[in-house]
Amino acid sequence: MEVVLETKDLTKNYGEVIAVSKVSLRVEKSALFGLLGPNGSGKTTMIKMLTGQTSLTGGSATVLGIDVTRDPIGVRRQVGIIPEQETPPSFLTAIEYLKFVAAVRNIPDIETKADWWFDFLDFADKKNVLCKDLSRGTRQKLMFTQAFIHEPALALIDEPLINFDPIMQDVVKDYLSGYVRKGRTIFISTHILEVAEEICSGFAILHKGKLLHTGPVAELTGRNEHLPSFFLSLVRKDRNV
Amino acid sequence: MFELFTNMVKEEWRVHSTMFGSLSFALFPVMIFAIAFMGSFLIPLIQSTLPAGNLTLIVHGTYLMLGIMVGGFGLLGNEVMNRRFGQASLLAYSSRSLPLSEKFIFANFVIKDTVYYFFLWVLPFGLGYVLASPYIGVPPGDALLLLLTLTLSFLFGLCGVFFLSAVYIRSRPALLLILVALCAGVAGLVLMTGVNPVLLFPPLLLTSAFSWANFLISCGVLALLFGIAILLFNPEPVGSEKRFKDSFAPLMRRFSFLPNPPLATKDSLDLYRSGSLVGQTIFSFLLPLAVIWFFLSLLGPFLPPHGLLFLVAVTTGVIGSTMYTWVTMFDSFGPYGCLPVAVSTLIASKLTTFAILQVIPAAFIAVVALLSGEAACLFPAVVLGICISFYAAGIMAWLCGLSPNVLVYDVKVLFVFLILVGIVLAIFTAIAFANPYFAFSAVILVIPTWLMIRRAKVRWDSVDPGGF
Ligand SMILES: Nc1ncnc2c1ncn2[C@@H]1O[C@H](COP(=O)(O)OP(=O)(O)OP(=O)(O)O)[C@@H](O)[C@H]1O
Ligand SMILES: [Mg+2]
Repeated sequence: MEVVLETKDLTKNYGEVIAVSKVSLRVEKSALFGLLGPNGSGKTTMIKMLTGQTSLTGGSATVLGIDVTRDPIGVRRQVGIIPEQETPPSFLTAIEYLKFVAAVRNIPDIETKADWWFDFLDFADKKNVLCKDLSRGTRQKLMFTQAFIHEPALALIDEPLINFDPIMQDVVKDYLSGYVRKGRTIFISTHILEVAEEICSGFAILHKGKLLHTGPVAELTGRNEHLPSFFLSLVRKDRNV
Repeated sequence: MFELFTNMVKEEWRVHSTMFGSLSFALFPVMIFAIAFMGSFLIPLIQSTLPAGNLTLIVHGTYLMLGIMVGGFGLLGNEVMNRRFGQASLLAYSSRSLPLSEKFIFANFVIKDTVYYFFLWVLPFGLGYVLASPYIGVPPGDALLLLLTLTLSFLFGLCGVFFLSAVYIRSRPALLLILVALCAGVAGLVLMTGVNPVLLFPPLLLTSAFSWANFLISCGVLALLFGIAILLFNPEPVGSEKRFKDSFAPLMRRFSFLPNPPLATKDSLDLYRSGSLVGQTIFSFLLPLAVIWFFLSLLGPFLPPHGLLFLVAVTTGVIGSTMYTWVTMFDSFGPYGCLPVAVSTLIASKLTTFAILQVIPAAFIAVVALLSGEAACLFPAVVLGICISFYAAGIMAWLCGLSPNVLVYDVKVLFVFLILVGIVLAIFTAIAFANPYFAFSAVILVIPTWLMIRRAKVRWDSVDPGGF
């Protein structure tokens, strides 16, 4: 299988704090890969490094064949990203923000595409509202649209379901599962283990910046084990040593 | 309730000290002190060419201008309270979850800022002069009085503009009315008494003859202005959805001649819709410059022919360069992190927007030239002012990247900035004084500006954006 994302001994220190420590991962094409881990385990930092938003302290990472240290902008041109915290710029309206993204990314035919997304995520009535006045969930819808509107070969999403209502969570889960069936790849970080078990094909568990486990979800199912209990026992064991 | 205030002070400290280290920040007032201390020894020298009163006048004018430039809190109110402020989410925003009124939180924020400015700029400068006074034969009492009147000058600028900007946010016609009344009052005074209104500025009256009555009235006026401004502050009602017609595509077509049309379009929409274009132009640009023009005009008799115009042009250039902070103020790198946009591209686009905004200082210098009957010197003055503005902005971009507002308080940054800009100011003012047409030589500044911008791009691409 073709590998779309690979890290070797990926490390990030913030001064004294070791946020990510020697993580080696591989994600294959068409996978829906879940990065799991308790608060502060380094998930967001991983995604930031993989998308060239922060420098690496050590190791290397290749995304879609591009070395993230050598060409961070090149990586960002190819992938779609939903950051953990960022919200769309305050003083543009929803549609203007999408047009801005389209202009930066050279996406043709934005009007039609944007309309499809406004309908699909059910926020067409907010099209002309300033982003600062949108609700948290609507902003997340806009960020979701922004990440997928150019149909990237790989999308990296920090907590895709956060702020969505149950109906929207369902829509988004279905969309993600369908997206990888078309031969594209998704890399998500999440705390919702049941969802990860339901939609992910592969996963990794981080704890205090270290990689505790990585492998296919099917492996667990084969052993008649569930992801939530596996996660809990692994992390608790690591916490006790 | 004092806790909110102390925590805001701590927060402000950390914003700066995490960006460039506590020491650098702590040394900032020390440097201002040192500049004032050493500068004081120049006073006897300057006094041989300028009568004593004029120097006091200029210093007060400068502090009044400083106060005016930082006093536009009225404009910032809603940004601060809604956490839209560039880099960090501030305590003012999270305090909304506490049982405190918004006016109270905002008042704390403004007082915190005022206290910071006082300790960073006003106090060290005054102390520098006080400590130098025995060596230059000034009675220490006079020096202490100067510290007091400088503080008052600064506060007059700050409270005055805080008040005006609060009125502006509430009602533009009301601001217009007040400004017209103010101008009419000043004009009437000038016509009736024939004195420059600057001489009636309360802190200046106090320097020449201290009186408690005068002092108390000044304090009363300040408190009144501040109080009204706080009362006028009207937190944006939550739940109001502002809607706009989609103007991105048409605007971008109009900007298609620029190097990066989408970024320029976004910047201009930001500036326009946040209200900072008109607001900042009035409060951080026109008002301080008009004041300094009044002050400088008193120097007229001691300056070479056309000297006043060129002094105004140079000052406008320096103030004009701060427009680079306007265009970076509402933006952090964050939202660009998910797009293929490098920091260098962003710096370039901010500088492009900055370049467009330079129409404002250029127009201002032209108007001053025309009003003062110096039309013949209009072009050299505009060229000089604008070249200096670009040069100073280039240095800012190189030293501070996208966060000039925070990084000015890094001693190293301010020091290098002052040296590089100061030298150029001195040289080109002297050149223009020698012959007005020599001022055209300022175009040579294009070269260092270009080099500086090139270095800025390389430098800021290689560090992690964000900072804290
Ligand atoms: N800019 C920063 N400066 C210093 N330390 C940081 C910075 N960003 C993250 N850290 C630290 O790095 C570690 C990993 O943080 P990270 O945000 O990657 O965790 P996370 O797994 O995404 O957590 P969560 O599940 O809460 O989102 C934490 O200890 C955090 O305090
Ligand atoms: Mg996280």
